[in-house]
Amino acid sequence: MNISIEKKLFSEAVHIVARFAEKKNSTLPALSSILIIAGDEGIKMRATNLETGIDLKLKGEVKNEGVVAIPATLLQQIASSLSYGGDITLEHIGDIISIKSGTGKSSIKTVAYDDFPSIPFPENPKNRIIISGVLLRTLFTSIASCASSSTIRPELSSIYLSIEGGILTAVATDSFRLAEKKVPLINKGIQGKFLIPAKNALDIAQALPDEDIIMSFDEHQCAFVSTFGMLVSRLTNAVYPDYRQIIPKESIVEAVVLRKDFETAIKQTTIFSDSFQKVNLSFDPKKNIIALFARNTEVGESVETLSAQVSGSPLDISFNHRYLSAILSLTGAESLSFLAAGIGRPLIIKGVGDTSLLYLVSPMNQ
Amino acid sequence: MNKGNLQELWEYVLTQVELSISPANFKTWFCSSFIVKISEDGIVYIGVPSQFFKDWYIKKFHTLLLKIIRDVSYEFRNIEYLIVKDERRKPAKETKNISGAMELPLDEFYINKSDNLNPRYTFDTFVIGSFNTLACTAAQAALSRPGIIYNPLFIYGDTGRGKTHLIQAIGNQFKKQYQGRKVFYLTSEKFAIDYVDSVQAGTANRFKDKYRQYDLLIMDDVQFLSKKDKTQEELFHLFNALHDTNKQIIFSSDRAPASIPDIAERLKGRLSSGMAVDIGEPDPESRMAIVRKKAALHGFMLSDEVVEYVATSLSGSIRELEGMVNSIICHAQVKGCTPDIAEVRQSLRSFTRPQKNISVKNVVDKVAEFYGIDEESIYEKTRRREVVRPRQVIMYLLREDFNISYPTIGSKLGGRDHTTVIHSCEKIKREIVVDNDLIKDIQNIRTLLV
Repeated sequence: MNISIEKKLFSEAVHIVARFAEKKNSTLPALSSILIIAGDEGIKMRATNLETGIDLKLKGEVKNEGVVAIPATLLQQIASSLSYGGDITLEHIGDIISIKSGTGKSSIKTVAYDDFPSIPFPENPKNRIIISGVLLRTLFTSIASCASSSTIRPELSSIYLSIEGGILTAVATDSFRLAEKKVPLINKGIQGKFLIPAKNALDIAQALPDEDIIMSFDEHQCAFVSTFGMLVSRLTNAVYPDYRQIIPKESIVEAVVLRKDFETAIKQTTIFSDSFQKVNLSFDPKKNIIALFARNTEVGESVETLSAQVSGSPLDISFNHRYLSAILSLTGAESLSFLAAGIGRPLIIKGVGDTSLLYLVSPMNQ
Repeated sequence: MNKGNLQELWEYVLTQVELSISPANFKTWFCSSFIVKISEDGIVYIGVPSQFFKDWYIKKFHTLLLKIIRDVSYEFRNIEYLIVKDERRKPAKETKNISGAMELPLDEFYINKSDNLNPRYTFDTFVIGSFNTLACTAAQAALSRPGIIYNPLFIYGDTGRGKTHLIQAIGNQFKKQYQGRKVFYLTSEKFAIDYVDSVQAGTANRFKDKYRQYDLLIMDDVQFLSKKDKTQEELFHLFNALHDTNKQIIFSSDRAPASIPDIAERLKGRLSSGMAVDIGEPDPESRMAIVRKKAALHGFMLSDEVVEYVATSLSGSIRELEGMVNSIICHAQVKGCTPDIAEVRQSLRSFTRPQKNISVKNVVDKVAEFYGIDEESIYEKTRRREVVRPRQVIMYLLREDFNISYPTIGSKLGGRDHTTVIHSCEKIKREIVVDNDLIKDIQNIRTLLV
């Protein structure tokens, strides 16, 4: 094999692809490697950790065809130390690959590539939708933080995606809070639902391009295809809880506050929260205020009063402040609306004017 | 090697595979796979975690695996690969995140998920004999028109007679017959704890609502509610709410509603307002049928001789009977053959109770002490009221608990005729049904005698 690629392109590609290689070195060496293929279809880089996989196309000049597997971490180190400008040449002779860039030349021992697995593509091509890469990336990155980090219940450490009536709904919950975000789709009429592990979704989000992509899926696998190449992920094969039934239908108090106010108030109160990270919210419809209160027996206590539009009956309810402030990264709306259904029942937070998002957080035991 | 044992077969395959591929390959690809099933036409289904594995197995390992299993038997024609659900694989061990411990989980995730019923208890596994026909018929009737015919259905009987089995079977059958309706099974203890918790958390209203939504409520062991006045009151209101809306309620207890001590009269009345049926002592034939059925459930056929021995010569409740059958089967599995009568005797040694050896004098001492009378007066010919009752109790206990013959009892207690003894025993037996104090007294004396 003999290829030459623009340095900038090369190092960008390596950084994206290396994320998909297996980080633990206990398994197959091929899995912690990047496979570079030079063939009729141009240059491709591949990596997989058997959960997710990537097949990236690169622009470059192919002088001589061939396949080679190089340890991902090594290639990553080389890529980050490249000075920009000019091309990089990779030449493969025997089991040694020499990388030439500008004046320097390094030789690397390659890994046997026949152990490198094939990257599977969903079997049923009917389930496919077109969606903008930017949109999907923000969807995954914002919502994935709400999924559970424990692997005990695989369904809760996944993002639930359902496509119905031209709308893509994404849901993540760790059983203490839940976020639901809706995105309109271009092609309607396709129905389906699947669970993608949140960790995989994040990896994929990092590698998604801005342009439109085709998302296709079957029972076990989903793929994101565009001109840049292909990303695949294993799907969680479990039943997602019927989350709709836990969303309270009625509310006893409703409040609207400015996001700016809430953000400073929660920051201030968090300093005084105790080891359980407890912050008390009290709604006062008479004075039209929301008060945030936290007390730490070792530090002290603090009350922040926000002017708000409150309607309904007064209510005192406590939350974990981490879960409350999570809303700020979920929506960009200027004002937030809070809907509480009573003591011991979850609180709904929405961005005013942002109908796509619904955030539900469960209170702490009083 | 046993070809039918999937795990054994897979382990054999793994050892063979390990020899022919590199350790890294083996570790990567074979750690989380297993044989799911073998179909009748000889196709072995191997469960793998994801599409990556499936594709790779087909591409790289198919011929190797096929060769290995063909070596085991020619019956295996082909191998197919299935991607199995995450739940079926072993979950990774992980320490629980403690920081979230204070939050209430979004609780409805866990409620509704379960009705607390154990699917193992069904009518199919329930042995019907003369001792429980009535209870069983009542259960069937209640199932045919729930909430209308026998409401509440109250089932009582001694421990280990199959009350829990019967009421859970009703629940499971109800679920099957009336899909969409809600069933809930709980013990009275759980009810009490729930109530206390809700009072503590200040959510008593939610507690009320929670239980009122069910179409069939099954409460086990209500006798444990005695002395818990507030919980009884809550049950009373719950009962009224369910009964008024024609929702079926089923209770079980170890004694009749009227004889549960320390329970409010109004609740007692309500418990017995529907149908109260008794599950009695199983007769020998029923016990034999039970032993056969339990053994058959484990895939074992016991000889008639063994069945008869287990069912008749050993006393004990059905639960103990089950324990004996399990023990026999365990012994049989270890030895690998069906056990004969001698072996059964040997293996059931632990179940035979030590013979109570107690002198008549000892019993007389204890009873006299209990009633606070002079023990000499028991042997005398006096007919004073305070002596007659203890004397009758002594006779009853000697007969019932120690199986001493009527004439012996008579002669030991101051040379009385055996008919006097028979009369006394019968009298106590009759009174014990209606007199709560007497039951308590006798129970207390029994504990003194052990």
